[in-house]
This record gives sequence, structure tokens and C-alpha cells, in this order.
Amino acid sequence: MGQTLRIFALAGSVLVVALGATSQMRAQSKTSYPSMAALDQYLMPDRNAEIALARTAAPDSISRDAKILVLGSHGYETAVEGKNGFVCAVERGWMAPFDNPEFWNPKIRGPLCFTPPAARSILPMTYKRTEMVLAGQSKDQIMEGIAAFAKKELPPLAPGAFTYMMSKEAYLTDRGDHNIAHLMFYTPVMDGAVWGADLPKSPVMLNPQFALEGIDVFMVLTGMWSDGTLAPVNN
Amino acid sequence: MEMSREKAKNLASGGFVLVVVLAAAWQVQAQDANALYTSMAPLDQYLMADRNAEIALARSAAPDSISRDAEVLVLARHGYETAVKGKNGFVCVVERSWMAPFDDPEFLNPDQRAPLCLNPPAVRTHLPLTFKTTELAMAGQSKTQMFDSIKAAYDKKELPLPEPGAMCYMMSKQQYFSRKVGNADPHLMFWFPQKDHLSWGAEFAGSPVDIHQYSPQPITEFDISVSKWSDGTAAPTD
Repeated sequence: MGQTLRIFALAGSVLVVALGATSQMRAQSKTSYPSMAALDQYLMPDRNAEIALARTAAPDSISRDAKILVLGSHGYETAVEGKNGFVCAVERGWMAPFDNPEFWNPKIRGPLCFTPPAARSILPMTYKRTEMVLAGQSKDQIMEGIAAFAKKELPPLAPGAFTYMMSKEAYLTDRGDHNIAHLMFYTPVMDGAVWGADLPKSPVMLNPQFALEGIDVFMVLTGMWSDGTLAPVNN
Repeated sequence: MEMSREKAKNLASGGFVLVVVLAAAWQVQAQDANALYTSMAPLDQYLMADRNAEIALARSAAPDSISRDAEVLVLARHGYETAVKGKNGFVCVVERSWMAPFDDPEFLNPDQRAPLCLNPPAVRTHLPLTFKTTELAMAGQSKTQMFDSIKAAYDKKELPLPEPGAMCYMMSKQQYFSRKVGNADPHLMFWFPQKDHLSWGAEFAGSPVDIHQYSPQPITEFDISVSKWSDGTAAPTD
């Protein structure tokens, strides 16, 4: 891989990392999370902390009036009713691509705020995956269930659906800086080259997060956290 | 095509006095612009005499990894011409001021140079608008005539609505939009059939998303600010 920028999609998004990461590092990562950890490790005991973390995904002007979800032992629950149509939540490792070595990493915390179109057409996937995970299904069973769900029950992709992932407190991967500020745009499957993704100096990356669901996820790096401070852009 | 999060930046950047001063300055500028750009300037002022300079400017809209294999258009006396054949489906072009909203006081500002690199869906659905508007401007139509012609073209479906995924890069450090925003900031633009902006978080304080609702074009445009110019250097953050 040399100097090539490697991208690993994790937790409802992300992430970049590892210029020249060795195969040994990757092997270690793959063996670190072979199966689901104890449920408690994925939950946040402090409900208010999870609410606050979810809200950090977007600027306060958006998230303060958003509906807030928190993860309970039986799935996501509404912690705060919203007023502006946005929904903020903290996703866990199982929202990563199925072949991601950190799929079961219990440290992953991916705050994101769904725009209303994304809340209608993308959030159902978060609910579905989480429901199957918490029911104790294996990864193979989840993949099978998701494929069927995408085919029969998933609402049509709303034009322009996107999410904010600009939290400075996110933990998206064990690698690198663990985090990056970005927006995620959801489109029908198309060649990443159509957006100029993953090319040198391009602020656009293609995230294979929802390949099974038949949806492309394009990440646009903002270079700014939700609190207005500058974020590193490692491209 | 008008840019920048200047409104949000102004609100966030300082005290009441500063805002008042900026507002007053903008008003003066707007008045100046209204006075200055009431009609089309001589055509030569919109053209670039150096064809190679226009090619280079067009390419500067996107990182070299994208624009070096793009088709490049340049503006000549009778419209856009292909100056360089492309290989990757992108088209880079320097748009002129008449691609701004019709109510923009600098709609006919001959100094404007707006390089952009369109991705293939935008080539199919935005570039026809660029060609049509440019044709009308260069034919000497008034702004009212242009407005009516563009509206009729959409009504008759002669101009296409944006395809899913239609977007462009506008990351040129050399871009110049207006007396009001200068070269603004590097950004990407996404086009959609007209939408209600309130569902997107556009123009909320601190949001990197800006919105433009066009008229008569039934198009909503979202601009996403990014932190670097196409050459990889950091853009100003103020």
C-alpha cells in the first residue's frame, strides 16, 4: 500500500488512516474483535452523556432542536423529542461495512445527525441492524436479514439525504486520530469515480458502508468540527 | 452559483457594531454594483484573451487528479468551445457572471470568473443550462428576456432537471465571484430538483452547508465548504 491513503469505513462512517500501515497491524486489528463483546460494553451508562455526544455531531444551531436517540438494551429509544425534523444518535461499530475488522469494536462511538430525508430513508437501516445485533444474531444472519430488508422494506432513498458527522468527540476507529469531521451523502450505487472520490487532494471519499443495502455513501471532509474549530484533513 | 457562508460568518464573527459596519459597507457595495452592472459590458470584457490561461483556470477548479483528464471548455465569441478533450467524464469550464441568480446585482459583472469541474451527471444536466444561458447573454438578450427564455426552456422540458449525484468542484484559489465575496471559499456544489432548504440544515450557524434557490430554474443548489483549495493549500477560515 506504500504511501497510498487507505480508507477504512467504520461506525456509520469512517475512516481514513494509516499511511503505510503494516499487514501485521491489520492482522492484529482483525483478531481483536472477532465477535460481539458483552452488551454493556456497547452501552453508555450515562444517558445524558449519550445525549450530549449525539448532539455534537452537528452545529448546535441544528442539533439543539433535533430528536435525540440513545441506545438501550433493546434498541434505540427517543430521549429527547425534536422540533426541526433532524434526528441525532450515536451509532456503534456494527454500522460499519460487514467485512470491517472493527465491526464488533465496542469502543466505537459514531455520533451523527440525520437530515429529515436521511431520517426517513437511512435511519431505518440503523434501527434494523441494531435490532438484529441486540437479538444476538450472527454477522451472517445479520447480512442475510439486511439484504432481505433492503429488498422489501427499506424506504426509497430520499434525494439529497445526508448526515452530519462533525463531532470532535467521536471515536470511529482504533487507527490514526480515531476521527474526522465530515458529511455523508447517500446516493444510488454509482462508480466512485463519478464523484472524483478517493483521488489525491479530493475532499470526497467513497465509504462502502451500505454496499449490501445498495446505497453509496460519499464522505465530504469539512475541515471543521461542529463547534467551529478547525479539524485536521489528512488528505 | 453565488457562494460563501458570509452571512453566517458575519453573524458569528463579531459584535453588533461590526455587523452594522459590514452591513453598511455591503449596502454601499450593492448600490455600487447596481449602478455598475446594469447592462452587458462589451463582449471582450467577458472573454479571456489568453486561451491557455483560461484552460489553466478551468482546471484549477478541482484537484489535478481530477482535472488533468477532464474535458476543458473555453469561452469564445460564439459560445463555449472544447479546448481539450477529456478521458474521465468530467468537464471543467470557467463560467461567467450570467450564471449567477437573476437578482444578483453583479449578474453582468464582466470580471467574474467561476471555474468549476462538473462530474458526469452534472455534465448531462447542468452544462446544458450553462450553454443556454451563455448563448442568450452573448446574443444580447436583456436580463428579462433571458429570464423568460430560461423559464420557457424548463417549462417545455428543453432543459433537464439535475440527475441524482450531480455535483461539481469549485476549489480554485483564482476564482473570483463578485465585489461582495471575492474568491469566497473552496467548496463543492450539489444540484437537486427544487427542495425546501429547511430540511437540510443549510445556512444554520456553524453549518458548512449553504443553499441557493434559483428562479426561474427549478433547482436547489447546496454548497459544501471544504478547507483546502484544489492545490492542497489551506483556505482562510475567517
